[in-house]
Amino acid sequence: MSAAAHGLALVVLVPIVGGALIPALFRRFPTAAWGFALASSALTLAISISLIRRLLAEGPFSYAAGGWPPPYGVALHFDRFGAAIAVFSMITLLVLIFSRRYIPAVVPIARIPLYYALVMINLGGMNGFLVTGDLFNLFVFMEVFSVSAYALVAMARGPQAGLAAIKYLLLGAVSSLLVLFAIGLIFAQTGTLNMADAAGRLDAAASIVPTALALGALTIGFMVKAALFPLHVWLPDAHASAPAPVSALLSAVVVKAGVIGIIRTLQTFSDHGSLQLMPLQSLLIWLGAIAVLWGAVAALVQSDLKRLLAYSTVTNIGYIFIGLGIGSATAASGAAVHIINHAVIKAALFLAAGALIHQSGLRHIDDLRGLGERMPLSALALGVALLAVAGVPPTAGFVGKWQIGLGALETGRPLLMGVVIVGGLLVLTYGVRIINTLFFRPPLHVRVVTSREAPPSMLAAILLLAASSFLLGLAGKPMLDFVAPAILPLTDTG
Amino acid sequence: MNVLLTHVDYIAAVAIFLVGLYILLVKQNLLKKILGLNIMETAVFAFIVTAGMTDNGVPPLLGPDAVGPFASPLPHALVLTGIVVAVSITALALALIVRVKRECGSVELNELGKVE
Amino acid sequence: MPIELHDLRPVLAPLISALCAGGVFVMGTSGRWRAIWSLAAAGLKFVIVWSMLPGTLAGSVYIFRVGEILPGLSIAFRVDAFGLFYALVTATLWVLTTVYALAYMKGSHALKRFFGFFALCISTTVAIAFAENLFTLFLFYELLTVCTYPLVIHDQDAEARRAGRKYLAYTLCGGAVILAGMLLVFHSAGTLSLAEGGILGDVDDHRVLLLIFLTLVGGFGVKAAIMPLHAWLPAAMVAPTPVSALLHAVAVVKAGAFGVVRVLYDVFGVNLLKSLGFATWLGYLAGFTIIAGSIMALRQNRLKARLAWSTISQLSYILLAASLLTPAAALAAIIHLANQAFTKITMFFVAGAIEHNTGKTHIDQLDGIGYRMPWTMAAFTIAGLSFMGVPLLAGFITKWYLSLGALAADSGGFVALMALSGLLNAAYWLPIIYRAYFRETGIPQLREETPWMLLAPIGICAGYVILLGTGAQAPLMPFSLAESAVRLAFGLEGGIP
Repeated sequence: MSAAAHGLALVVLVPIVGGALIPALFRRFPTAAWGFALASSALTLAISISLIRRLLAEGPFSYAAGGWPPPYGVALHFDRFGAAIAVFSMITLLVLIFSRRYIPAVVPIARIPLYYALVMINLGGMNGFLVTGDLFNLFVFMEVFSVSAYALVAMARGPQAGLAAIKYLLLGAVSSLLVLFAIGLIFAQTGTLNMADAAGRLDAAASIVPTALALGALTIGFMVKAALFPLHVWLPDAHASAPAPVSALLSAVVVKAGVIGIIRTLQTFSDHGSLQLMPLQSLLIWLGAIAVLWGAVAALVQSDLKRLLAYSTVTNIGYIFIGLGIGSATAASGAAVHIINHAVIKAALFLAAGALIHQSGLRHIDDLRGLGERMPLSALALGVALLAVAGVPPTAGFVGKWQIGLGALETGRPLLMGVVIVGGLLVLTYGVRIINTLFFRPPLHVRVVTSREAPPSMLAAILLLAASSFLLGLAGKPMLDFVAPAILPLTDTG
Repeated sequence: MNVLLTHVDYIAAVAIFLVGLYILLVKQNLLKKILGLNIMETAVFAFIVTAGMTDNGVPPLLGPDAVGPFASPLPHALVLTGIVVAVSITALALALIVRVKRECGSVELNELGKVE
Repeated sequence: MPIELHDLRPVLAPLISALCAGGVFVMGTSGRWRAIWSLAAAGLKFVIVWSMLPGTLAGSVYIFRVGEILPGLSIAFRVDAFGLFYALVTATLWVLTTVYALAYMKGSHALKRFFGFFALCISTTVAIAFAENLFTLFLFYELLTVCTYPLVIHDQDAEARRAGRKYLAYTLCGGAVILAGMLLVFHSAGTLSLAEGGILGDVDDHRVLLLIFLTLVGGFGVKAAIMPLHAWLPAAMVAPTPVSALLHAVAVVKAGAFGVVRVLYDVFGVNLLKSLGFATWLGYLAGFTIIAGSIMALRQNRLKARLAWSTISQLSYILLAASLLTPAAALAAIIHLANQAFTKITMFFVAGAIEHNTGKTHIDQLDGIGYRMPWTMAAFTIAGLSFMGVPLLAGFITKWYLSLGALAADSGGFVALMALSGLLNAAYWLPIIYRAYFRETGIPQLREETPWMLLAPIGICAGYVILLGTGAQAPLMPFSLAESAVRLAFGLEGGIP
C-alpha cells in the first residue's frame, strides 16, 4: 500500500513519533527543535488535508491498523468530525510559529526540546482521539494528549504553574478513569470495543443499569475534559498560568476533545431503544446556559487578561453544549461549527494576549492601557478576536450563536435564545472594556511606553488567526453544509 | 437480591472507586490524593479484568492440546496498557509534587492556598 | 412593480468610502492626505448616490447581492426610493460636515483616528440606507456604533469616557435586542428581506408579533432616542461639534429612525400593523417624547445640550408620523428625515462656530452675538424659525403633512400636539435669537465672522432649509422621491391623498 493509503495512521504517527524523537535528536541543539517540530506538524497538516479530500470524494472511510479487519483489529475511522484534525493541526502549526521567539523567553533552554516534543505528542493524541474507531484507543489517545497537556502547563515558571498543573492533573485523571470505567462497562455488556459495533449491541444488553452507569460515567468524564460548568474549576488556573502558546492549545484544541467525546457518546447511545437521552440533553442545555452566564460574569470581574480569556472558554463551551443539548439540525450543526470557530478565535485571543503580555511584561488589564499605540497590530488582532468571541456579526463567533439561538426558537425555548443573546452581550462588554483600555486610555505604566511591536514570527501567527476569526464568519454556510451529514445521527435523538 | 449477586463485580468496583474518590476529594495532602487516584485506578482495572472472565475458562494459550472455553484475552491487554498509562500519570504527578514542595514549601493544599 | 436592475453602484457607494477611510488610516499622519482622502470618501459617495436618482425616480430598483453567509442570511444591497432618500440626505450632509470638520478639528489630537472613523461612518451609513434585508441593515447598524464610538470619546477625558460608556451600553443593548427580534422574524417568516408590504403576513401568533414589534422597534428606538431610551444622547454631547452634528443630525439617530420606519413598513407592512394596532402605542410614546423632550430642552442653558434635547423631541416627529399609517403622515415621516437633518445640522454648525470663535458654550453668554457673527446667526435664525413651523421653511412642510396624516387617521389630538410643540419650540429658540440681536451687552461688539470653511457649510445648510420649505416639489428635490417611497409602502397608484 502507498503512503496515501496509510494516511489515517500517519496523521497520528507522524506527530507522536516526531515528538518522541525531538528530545533525543536535539539535546545538543535545543533551538533547532523548532524547525523539526514545525516540519512534522506541517507534514501532519498536509496529510490531514489529503484525508479531507478523500473524504469529500468517497465519504467516510476506515483503516484497519496492521491489516486486521474490525471488530478484531484496531480500526481507525475518518468522518466529517475527523476533519477537525486539519484545523487542530493548523492551529498547532501556528502555535509553533509563535513559540519560536516566545518560548526561549519563558522556558529554560535545556527544556525547549521537551516543550516541542510535548506539543507534537499532544497533537498526535488529539488526532488519534478524533480518528479512532475503537473505544480503548479512544482512552489511550485521550491519555496521550491529557498527560502532555498536564506537563505543558507545568512548563511555565513560577509557583502557580506547578500547582495549577497538579490540580489539572488530578481532575483530569479522575475524568479519564471515569471514561475508562465506562469503557469497561460497555465491554462487559457487549463484548466489543469497536464503537460502531458496541452501539449496535448495547440495545441487546440484558440489564439497563450498567448501560446507564456507563453513559453517566462517560458524560461526567468528558464534561471534566470539556470544562463544562460546574466541572470547569480546573480550567481558569491551568489556562491562565500556562505559557501563552500552551494556553492557546489547551483552550482552542484540548478542551474540544471533551466536547467531541460527548458527541461520540451521544451518537453511540442514540440507537438504544429503552434508554432515553432526552433528560441528559436537557441537563446539558441547563448546564450550558449556566456556563454561558457564569463564565461571562466571572470573566467580567477578572483583572488578569489571561484569566479572563480562560473564563471566556467556559462561556463558549456552554454555547456548544446548549447547541448539542437542543440537538435539532440547526443547533447541533451550529455547535459543531462553533467547535472549530471557537478554536480559531481562542487561539488568536491567547496568542495576541501572549504577545502583549510578553512584550510589555504586564498582565493586568489596567496596566495595559495605551498599549494599542505601541503594538497596533497585536492589539488590533486582539480586538478583532474579542469581537469575534462575542459573536458580533459577521465574525466567526456569530455563526454558531445564530444557529444555536435559532435552534432554541425552533424547539420552543425563547428564554434560551435570550440566554444566548445576553451571554453574547456580556462577552461584548468585557471585550469592549479591553479594546477601550488598549486603544483609548493613556498609558499608566512606564513599561507600556517602552514596549515594541511583537517580532514577525509572533505577528504572523496572530494576524493569520485573527483574520481567520473574521473570515470564517463569511464562510458560515459552507461550513454548516460540511458538518450537516456528520451531525445527523445526533439529531435523531432530539 | 439476585441482581446484586450477578452484579457483584460491578458493586465491588464502584465501592472501591468511591473509596479512592473520597480520598482524592477530602484529603488535603497532595500525596494522599495521588494514593486515592491509584485506588480508583485499581478499581477500574480489577473491574475490566473480571469482565473478561468466562465460567470455567482456561488461559487463552493456543497449542496442540488447547481446549476451550477460553477466558477473553482482550481485557488483560487493556489493563496492561492502562497500568502503563497510570504509572506515567503517577510519575508525572510525583514530579510535580516535588516541584510544588520545592517552590511553595508544602504539599498540603489548604496551606498552599495561603502561600499564593 | 418596480423594475429590478442589477448594478454595482449600491455596493460601490459604501465600498469606495471604506477604501478612502483605509487611505486615511494608512496615510493620515499628513494633514494634506488626510483631507484628500476624507473629501474623496464624502465626494465620491455623493456622486455615486446622486447618479442613482434619475433611475430611481423612473421606477427602477438597483440590486447587488454580495453573498449568503449563513443559510437564509445574506449580505445584499437594494436601492429603493426610501433608501435612496436617506442616502441622499446623508451623502449631501456628509460633504458639508467633512469640510466643516476639517476646519474645526485643526490642531486636535489623534486626527488620523478621528478622520478615519469619520470616513468609515459614511460608508456604514450608506450601507444602512441600501440594505436589502434586515441582516445587512443590522450588520452595518452595529458597525456604525463601533465606528462612532472612537469619535464620541475623542477627547479621552473622564467625561468623554463616561459618555462613551453610556453610548455603547445603550446602543449595544439595543443591538442585542434587535438580534433577538431578527431571530424571531427569521424563525417565523423564514426570510429577513425587506419588502414593500411586509414579510410577516403569514404569521398569526399574536404574541410572537408583539414580541417582534417590541424587540425591533425598541432596538432601533434606542438610536432614534425615543423616551425612555434617550439618555445616551444628551450625554454624547461631550463629543467635538462635528461629531455631535454627525450623531444628532445625520448618521446615528437617523439610522435609528430609518430602522424603525423600515420595520414598520417593510417588515410588518401597513396593512398588518393597522390590524394589530401596536403602532398606536408607538404614536403615544412618540407624542410624549415630543413634548417631554421640548420641556427638557427649555431647561438647558448649555447650547449644545438644548440642541440635543431638541433632537430627541424632533426625532419623535418621524416616529409619530410613521406610526399613524396614513400616506400623508408617512410622507411627513420621510421628509422630516431631511428637514430635521438640515435644520439641526445648521444649528450644530452654528453652535460649533460660536464655540470655535468665541469660546462661548452657554446660552446666557450669547448676548449680542448676532452683531459679532451676523451671517452665522442669520443661519441659526432660519433654522430656529423652521423648527417653530414658520411657513416657507422646511419644518412647516413636516407639520403640514403630519397634521393632514393625523386627521386622515382620525387622530386629531396629534394636530393639537403639533401646535403645542410649535409653541414650545418657539419658547426655546426665540430667547436665543432675542439675546443674539436685542440684548445690549454694554460693550461694543466687534465683528468677528466665522472662517469661511466653517461658514460655507452653515450657509449651504441654511439655504437648503429654505429650499426644502419653498421649492420642495421642484425637479431634483428629494420630495418626489419621498412620494414614490410612500406609494410603494402603501401600494398606491396615483398621488398621495
